[in-house]
Amino acid sequence: MSNLDIFLQQLANGLILGSFYALVALGYTMVYGIIKLLNFAHGDLYMVGSFVGFLILSAISGLLGDSWAAILCSMVLSMLAVGLLGVLIQRVAYQPMLSAPRLSILITALAVSMVLSNTVMALTNGEYKAFITDLGYDGVDIGNVFVTYTQIVLVVSAAFLMVVLYLFVHKTLYGKAMRAIAIDQDACRLMGINVNRVIALTFFIGSALATAAGVMAGVYYGSIHFAMGFVIGLKAFTAAVIGGIGSIPGAMLGGLVLGLLEAFGTQIPAIGTEWKDVFSFGILILLLIFKPTGLLGKTEIERM
Amino acid sequence: MKKRTMLAAIGGALAGLLMLGQACVAADLKIGIMVPTTGSEATAGKDMENAMKLAVSEINDAGGVLGMQIVTITGDDACDPQQATAAASKLVSSDVTAVVGGYCSGATLPTLKIYGDAGIPMVIPAANSTKLITANPGNAFQINSTGFDQVNTAVDLFKKKGVKRLAIIHQGDGYSEDLARLTREKWTGMGNEVVAYEVVNKGEQDQSALVTRIKSKRPDAVFWTAYYADGAMVIKQLRQAGYRKLIAVGDGSNSPKLLEIAGRAAEGVYCFSNPTVEYLPAAKTFADNYRKTFKQNPDAYAALAYDGMKLMADAITRAGTTDKKAIIKALAETRDFQGIAGPISFTDKNTLAKSNFVILVAKGGKWTLYQ
Amino acid sequence: MVLAGVAMVIPLVASNYVLEVLTNAWFYTVLCLGLNIVVGYAGLLDLGYAAFFAVGAYTTGILTSQFGVNFWLTIPVAVACSMLAGIVIGGPTLRLRSDYLAIVTLGFGEIVRIVARNLKITGGASGLIGIERPHFFGMELSGIHHFYYVFLLLAILACFISYRLQNSRLGRAWQYVREDEDAAEAMGIGRVSVKLYAYVIGAVFGGVAGCFFAAKMTAISPETFTFTQSVLILLGVVLGGMGKIPGVIVGAFALVLFPEVFRDLGSMRMLVFAIVMLVIMLYRPEGIWPEKRS
Repeated sequence: MSNLDIFLQQLANGLILGSFYALVALGYTMVYGIIKLLNFAHGDLYMVGSFVGFLILSAISGLLGDSWAAILCSMVLSMLAVGLLGVLIQRVAYQPMLSAPRLSILITALAVSMVLSNTVMALTNGEYKAFITDLGYDGVDIGNVFVTYTQIVLVVSAAFLMVVLYLFVHKTLYGKAMRAIAIDQDACRLMGINVNRVIALTFFIGSALATAAGVMAGVYYGSIHFAMGFVIGLKAFTAAVIGGIGSIPGAMLGGLVLGLLEAFGTQIPAIGTEWKDVFSFGILILLLIFKPTGLLGKTEIERM
Repeated sequence: MKKRTMLAAIGGALAGLLMLGQACVAADLKIGIMVPTTGSEATAGKDMENAMKLAVSEINDAGGVLGMQIVTITGDDACDPQQATAAASKLVSSDVTAVVGGYCSGATLPTLKIYGDAGIPMVIPAANSTKLITANPGNAFQINSTGFDQVNTAVDLFKKKGVKRLAIIHQGDGYSEDLARLTREKWTGMGNEVVAYEVVNKGEQDQSALVTRIKSKRPDAVFWTAYYADGAMVIKQLRQAGYRKLIAVGDGSNSPKLLEIAGRAAEGVYCFSNPTVEYLPAAKTFADNYRKTFKQNPDAYAALAYDGMKLMADAITRAGTTDKKAIIKALAETRDFQGIAGPISFTDKNTLAKSNFVILVAKGGKWTLYQ
Repeated sequence: MVLAGVAMVIPLVASNYVLEVLTNAWFYTVLCLGLNIVVGYAGLLDLGYAAFFAVGAYTTGILTSQFGVNFWLTIPVAVACSMLAGIVIGGPTLRLRSDYLAIVTLGFGEIVRIVARNLKITGGASGLIGIERPHFFGMELSGIHHFYYVFLLLAILACFISYRLQNSRLGRAWQYVREDEDAAEAMGIGRVSVKLYAYVIGAVFGGVAGCFFAAKMTAISPETFTFTQSVLILLGVVLGGMGKIPGVIVGAFALVLFPEVFRDLGSMRMLVFAIVMLVIMLYRPEGIWPEKRS
């Protein structure tokens, strides 16, 4: 492999990984934008989504086989189901806490995250489940870079979901309400906007997107596990911060940037893979200290 | 009022604990079992406990040891050093004569001193980090081949396959790092090249960047020294990226789950393994009995756990007394004890004299014996 | 007082196993009280508290096992190191929003663990073994009886310091900052320096507990200092009631005793804890055993 080939291959790797990060980061950023809550449980919704998708796929594969149609069908159904779970969590756990001190709601979010991951752990005995779809490794060679069809389909669907979301937020009335609530909740209430409904909708969309990423990851990597949400939750948060938390285009950009950073970061000879995480956490910490608004975030004068 | 409820609560908890501590029934010969029965490694731990209990019931049916019936007490180490010390203290304070146990090396390590201080003879069936050898106060005996033996098996295979450039990947835990480091030392010591020495974080799914990096170093073989779950992912992504040469995995990856998760990608992967029941002709009766008693298949360490208990009973018989020093001496003098996993004799470091490692290869979605 | 008396005589009647468990409980009491200063008093969410505990344990571990330093001399070094760690992480980040702080501490905790895993001096992934047991007036502290008293003493000391801090000028400053940061600042309280004190003092608690942990275990490895460990300590603080000393002690004991008494629950342990934690936050944020507020 020449250096150019390595570069192109890592570029492809980074884009694929980055689109997963972006999908999960979107949920973080939307929830944060609207109620200023750091939803620790978001990464676990990705994990739950993956398991629900797995269950639905096993249930309907008798009907549709292991085809793309079956995968699409299970993805849509699990997005609906976990989206509703997200709304339920918001209603039960976060709604009563909105006026509580910041510390309490953060700990509540942490507790929700633990409840989700430990429930799945108890149900699966902590075992890895093989997510078998048998899509094969066929693909195309672009120069010396090999990309499978599965990878192409995944990136395209992630991009599709993000475009739909962007249009929804910027072209519909609900989207407008969402953006308005992010700016001033009380004023929106006075203007007759059903704030609670819009917040619920935000949780629904965020959870559904994380689920989409979870099902895609299951299909792509072939195995799912109760703890898989933790790492990606952190990474997605980093992506959201890179892009500027609260900003939707920022989350998409941040996801891609982080994916590329990780892909090329492992190629730097001085930083062995053993230091990879120190590298990404280091970036996160420095960013939070020196540029907490990220690449596309707005300056915000607020404390605590 | 509140204080009183509080006192009552603490008192109740203490009473519960005291009862637990004294729950050990008065018996002829008490032998402790230390395995993880909760936590991430509970499956393996319970499997070992089953195998040991099977051994005990066979011994007792045949008249016991020195005319005494064996009674076992299980201490749960949860594969966690803190809980392991609690479990070890529990066994020591229950006045056990001997202990058979130790699955996770990290959890077994701090218990060696506790058993050592109490002078209790111990047989370690599974844990095999080389750190256990240095930390052993002299009362513990390892019947699983150590990391050194596995490295020798691995290096032999690589040599036979004409490997020149080796890539090693571990997972950043004591076990897999130990194995990776020893392999690197041995391999470079023989004048060969380790072109990549990488670490993967537990639970991370995407390994594409790592895979690309490894592929660019053009290794003839990739050696994964850690556990099956992430190993399957690495194998799959290596094959997906077009790596076609040899892949080998360490004994932590010896699981049918690896083949299930990695699917077709795992075909032809080599695995170094301690002797598991299915490849041991001598263990057939044991395996049948195990299935009959526990309605499940014996897992990776069942055979060694069974041998461990049998060996301990044998040593006590040979010592002719329950004196702990005499038992330790008898254990050290073990010569070709016929276990179902192979003959057991000890080196002067209390490790297995003759390695019992085997090489498996994945064929048609199943592990089969190679050679 | 009665409790302390009971605690003193327990070793005379209890078995080693009970002592081991109770020693563990006192040990968690110290950690929880340390984190309580950060979370309970100053109202800052720290998700990487295990890092300070690791700094203390590794300082003692490295100095005794590799440089042959006497155990007692490692304590001041460990205190200095954990203070330094507290300042390094706290200094630049305490100006941040509290949820950012939570993430930064989480990241810091992971960095400390990964560094310990990758360096030679910390023994890599397998950690350090053969850490010397301390001597006390010529007597080697080795049996569980000894360590029971050591950790009981530490816990009493931690209680005492916490109590004094709570009722000090600094303690009231923390309370102000926790309740209303802006008002506190308007009253002339240095917001950042007050928080930094909480951070550094909390770090020292963790560091000292870590020293004795290393001495008791004689072997430490990076796996002890994971995110789960940090969450567990936080759980202890939240269960009993944030900011209340007796509550935190109850929390620490619940943490340790629950899995021992209900071993059958096995892997469900964390699920039960998580549900309890959620219910507490929703319905009883003041914890199991709240203190009357004046």
